[in-house]
Amino acid sequence: MAIKFERVSFQYTSMDNKGYLALADINLSINKTGEFITLIGETGSGKSTLAQHMNALLQPTEGRVHIFGITVDDKTKKQRKIKLNPIRKQVGLVFQFPEYQLFEETVEKDIMFGPKNFGVSTEEAAKRAEKMIEVVGLDASYLKRSPFNLSGGEKKRVSIAGILAMEPEILILDEPTSGLDPIGRNALLDVFYNIHTELDKTVIIITHDMNTVYEYAKRVMVMREGVLVYDGDPVALFSKSNIDRWNLDVPDILGLTRDLEAKFDYKFTEPPRSRKALFKALEGMLK
Amino acid sequence: MKNIVIGRYIPGNSFLYSLDPRTKILALLILMIGVFVIDHIMHMVYAIAIIFLVLLLGKISIKRIYLGLRPLLFLLIFTFTFQIIFNRHGELLFEETLYYSPVSIALAAAIGIFWFFTKRFIKFRLLYFLMTLLAIGTVLSLTLFPGTFATGRFAVYEEGLFMALFIMLRLIIIVTLSTMLTMTTKPTDLNLGLEQILAPLKILRINAEEIAMIISISLRYIPTLLDEANKIMLAQASRGVDFEEGKMKEKVVQIVSLLVPMFIISFKRSDDLANAMEARSFAPGRPRTRLHVLTWKRLDSCVLALSFLLLVTAILSRVLL
Ligand SMILES: Nc1ncnc2c1ncn2[C@@H]1O[C@H](COP(=O)(O)OP(=O)(O)OP(=O)(O)O)[C@@H](O)[C@H]1O
Ligand SMILES: [Mg+2]
Repeated sequence: MAIKFERVSFQYTSMDNKGYLALADINLSINKTGEFITLIGETGSGKSTLAQHMNALLQPTEGRVHIFGITVDDKTKKQRKIKLNPIRKQVGLVFQFPEYQLFEETVEKDIMFGPKNFGVSTEEAAKRAEKMIEVVGLDASYLKRSPFNLSGGEKKRVSIAGILAMEPEILILDEPTSGLDPIGRNALLDVFYNIHTELDKTVIIITHDMNTVYEYAKRVMVMREGVLVYDGDPVALFSKSNIDRWNLDVPDILGLTRDLEAKFDYKFTEPPRSRKALFKALEGMLK
Repeated sequence: MKNIVIGRYIPGNSFLYSLDPRTKILALLILMIGVFVIDHIMHMVYAIAIIFLVLLLGKISIKRIYLGLRPLLFLLIFTFTFQIIFNRHGELLFEETLYYSPVSIALAAAIGIFWFFTKRFIKFRLLYFLMTLLAIGTVLSLTLFPGTFATGRFAVYEEGLFMALFIMLRLIIIVTLSTMLTMTTKPTDLNLGLEQILAPLKILRINAEEIAMIISISLRYIPTLLDEANKIMLAQASRGVDFEEGKMKEKVVQIVSLLVPMFIISFKRSDDLANAMEARSFAPGRPRTRLHVLTWKRLDSCVLALSFLLLVTAILSRVLL
């Protein structure tokens, strides 16, 4: 068990002394390998807050988080006995708003920043930068550009490359595809999926896109007002009752297959979860 | 970071909240002048008592004021020690000869180093620091050690002690008063009040409206920038920046990794703000009408009169006593 939350609550402290309870009594566990998880929920439901607990950027105000054998609770930071920094090498978190972290003169240096902080040599870091910029769908010419003159989507990609270059064991992405064009979005999702399948790493994606959830995820978590209300199979999530209960959007493919089933009075033995799978199922029938 | 109180409005309700912002600004000015007029420590103590009373009546918790003062703690301690050591007027209160010998200096240094490495485990750091200073002083004043190569003198004079206390109290009062103003006045009200107070400056071709706008926008963005700084620190921490630790060289990188995005974001923010203001037809210098019009109440006159009275008392006490 790489990450384990035990009755975790978190309260943001604010000036008027009325704390805001952003996480309430969360229990979950995540394996080191083989998981592809999506985390969904309304705006302000606590997804980013939850993600920041997974690499100890935030410490719970109640309960405990175990991350790769290190226990983090409300006293951890005060005691300063445990170094939290190494956790961030193991659990890489890409932030929701990339403009918060770009600061070097060139994109290349910015990507190298993370790995170098964790003791990777300059040459090795440069090599990784070169590789990762391609992985996130930009070409090598970007390396010498200033990160501040990039478009929003490009900044996002650079910030993702910066975390990928750290080669974390577990990768968490906070809305990595928001603000990207549809083609770029799918390409990037494929990149994450490949990281998951080829390197057998656990990937966690925060998203508002139900298609992503339905097509890619093996497991989905739903946050609602700071509470983890669902943790499990994506197909079961989109049952009629759940959709009504949590106000979910229906994934395109699911809507289509349901319509098809209704119209032609047919039942797919295994409901297709992607366009490709749907076509494959139809192919057999049409021939 | 989050506990910085200066410049932040905190909702509440008490007579301080219902005062006209103009009253509060003027009263602040008058009382500050009063504090500078006072030249006797006892009068300063009375002043503190009055402030205390106002805090109580205004239902402002002392803790908040303390939080506002905390960033200035260093400055306070610094001026205090400076005065104590260098002001040598008045009656001698306390004197101690210091003997510098290799052993005593080594011991003092050892205590200092011990303090440096253990201070993080101690809850009352200020107290611990003072105790450490006391211990160092005691070690240096002992005559036990051989090889004294120099002697020094540590002396506290009456005036030094009083001045130290005096300046400290004055600083505390000034900060407390300003915190009270910004805490109980919405930035928009503050802006409006300032603007109207500064309006007569038009004769000098100074545009009060603009100045008020600049001041209030700056105040408004202090908390926002702090939140932003917090977010940037989290983002950099997730890329392996350990803000808690690090040698000198790493510290520089840490600060750069925080400051550069801060600047970029601030510039972008000010751009956005300017655009948003223009999109709503804001044109500097052009007359604007108000959504909220300030109303002067009897309470305002009372408070202002009282402030004046206090100032006069301060002046009289200085001239007569
Ligand atoms: N620094 C902060 N101080 C106080 N409250 C905060 C802070 N950050 C977030 N919150 C509050 O905590 C709640 C959860 O925030 P969080 O950022 O985790 O939401 P989210 O699910 O990621 O939303 P989104 O989909 O918009 O990204 C929100 O209601 C927010 O107002
Ligand atoms: Mg979020």
